[in-house]
Amino acid sequence: MRTVLLAAGAALCALALPLHAQQQGVTADTITVGAHGPITGPAAYIGLAGRDGMLLAIKEINTAGGINGRKIAAVFEDDGHSPTRALAAVKKLVEQDKVFVVMSVGGSNATVGAVDYMKEKGVPYYVSIASAPQVTWPHAKNLFRGGTTETARYGELYAEFLATYYKAKRIAIMSGREEYPRNEGDATVDKLKTWFQTAPVARVEFNIGDKDFTPQLVEVQKANPDVVAFFGNPAEAAIAMRQAKELGLKQPFFVGSNMVDPALVAAAKGSSEGVMGFSLIPYLPGSKAPDMTKWEAAWKKEYPNAPAGRPNNFDLLAYGDMYVLAEGMKRAGANLTTDSLVKALEGIQDYRVGSVATPRTFSTKHHIGNLTLVPMVVKDGQWEPVQWTSARESDILKRYN
Amino acid sequence: MTTTLALQLAIAGLSVGSIYALVALAIVIPFKASGVLNFGQGEIVTFGAYAALVLTQLALPYPIVLACVVALGAVGGIAIERVLIRPIVKAPEFTLVIATFAIGLLIKGAISVRFGDSPNTIDGPFGGEPIVAAGLRFNPTSLWIFGCTLLVTFAVIAFFRHTRLGKAMRAVSVSPEAAKLMGIRVDRVYRWSWAISTAIGALAGLLVAPLIGINPEIGQLILRGLLGAVIGGFTSIPGAVVGGLAVGLIETFSGVLIGSAFKNLVPFVLLMLLLVFRPYGLFGAADVQRV
Repeated sequence: MRTVLLAAGAALCALALPLHAQQQGVTADTITVGAHGPITGPAAYIGLAGRDGMLLAIKEINTAGGINGRKIAAVFEDDGHSPTRALAAVKKLVEQDKVFVVMSVGGSNATVGAVDYMKEKGVPYYVSIASAPQVTWPHAKNLFRGGTTETARYGELYAEFLATYYKAKRIAIMSGREEYPRNEGDATVDKLKTWFQTAPVARVEFNIGDKDFTPQLVEVQKANPDVVAFFGNPAEAAIAMRQAKELGLKQPFFVGSNMVDPALVAAAKGSSEGVMGFSLIPYLPGSKAPDMTKWEAAWKKEYPNAPAGRPNNFDLLAYGDMYVLAEGMKRAGANLTTDSLVKALEGIQDYRVGSVATPRTFSTKHHIGNLTLVPMVVKDGQWEPVQWTSARESDILKRYN
Repeated sequence: MTTTLALQLAIAGLSVGSIYALVALAIVIPFKASGVLNFGQGEIVTFGAYAALVLTQLALPYPIVLACVVALGAVGGIAIERVLIRPIVKAPEFTLVIATFAIGLLIKGAISVRFGDSPNTIDGPFGGEPIVAAGLRFNPTSLWIFGCTLLVTFAVIAFFRHTRLGKAMRAVSVSPEAAKLMGIRVDRVYRWSWAISTAIGALAGLLVAPLIGINPEIGQLILRGLLGAVIGGFTSIPGAVVGGLAVGLIETFSGVLIGSAFKNLVPFVLLMLLLVFRPYGLFGAADVQRV
């Protein structure tokens, strides 16, 4: 009799265990997704778009029935583009809101502040927009990067493009003093050196929010470069490109991928003509490609009172990444846990929600979802693709072997 | 440094300095009349820039846009004074300063909600192609701003010296109570001081938009405007303009001579040094009381 009771008790405990060990942020009918990004301050054009793109995808997914019978609920925190605020945001999301997964739709400057904490907590952290190397290198099991790519990859493509497309021997680099533009500048300098044995003829920095770039441009002018690579935000680029023209600099401008966006053309107008850069998405908002037109119509239906310049690239990146994350959760099955999600995401190969997004691929070795960028040029006030493909094999995946 | 480069830098410094000077002017006027330091003035500049954007998108000619922006700025100032400042005008100075700060945040928030944070711009009245003369390159918009700054300065000086309202403002700034006893309507003086300063702030927004673009962060210019105002002596109209121009010149030259990393720092260091030797700025003077 005692043996029977013990066996019955053990069986009851075993049955009850899944209820008690239930995954944080997952209930019978809801999966809670946390997210952070800047919706105030100079980088709000990133976070507002990231938030809206993500929420549009969630609405569509929920309308289509959700994920394995569960609907997605979102909790969003403003990180103000600050690493300390990003850390506070993810702490709140993980410890108070008890979310299942956290998505970063903010820039590198803020996201780097959350990386160590998220690694320590082991909660899945899916980074859509930030390219800071810390997200994917050194490799961490629970950290993924989606639509954007790692800064090192930017460096490879930028250096190759500057050296082969522009055939530039003399390259000047202007970069902002914050995390993302500085990383872009450093990565480009590194690859120019290791792949093309060349160093920039001028490297100048500026503060985000500066209104006058004359001192930097004078230095650039003195160096007489073939091309000027500018890494910062559209607001600064617009002023710098206008002032360059005023100072008589005729050299072409190449810009970082965050500026390959209609916002740069809106801010710089004629000064942006001929500017080149790499896009993280196949079509930019405003493109007449049928899939893009359809997507924009859906976006505008959801946000009818959106301001000028929206939707932008970050709407699309976060939209595409929310679908990738949802696909991972779907593939993880009914028993959704951190481990099952990580395993499912690592099985994703060339997945994308449609032709408006670039395909994402993860593996057990690396979590860099996108290594593909499209070169573009401003022509008649519109960004248009440039016929150029990289001829070099990327170095960055080699470090994961 | 060659003479041509020095002159080119001077042009750039005066160009950005004109922007700071206009903001400094808009800060000094209400302070001169009512003793209120308006920390929301940067957002009035932002408001002017967005008003110009909207009116330009309606394809209105530049002179009409200019007149409308100035009028909107003045009406906005009157509304702020009547609705938000007058009820608390007898509160401690610190409360008033915080209130103006809050007004600025409200304006900025409303602009962000309505227009988003994507940058934008408008064209200047004379196009964007630089004028080349004597080997120097001038942006016509910069010259326009510089000219407008001088015009506004002389107009404001004349206003304070030669008009009844201007004289009343000076009297109120010395002693509101005594001015009241002399028959001056102090409320009216406060109202018009706000109207004039916000009109200048909005005008600054319209003028600078082609040069620095339009986004909700334009209000950060207030830091440079304050710097210019303090250098000038804070109660001096010519001082505010000279201070603003000086900040622009110092930033530009220090960026080239010392390095771009220090260009935002040097004006503040020089301000501290200036205040050690001239605590009331270049044009300010200590209050003298008859005993």
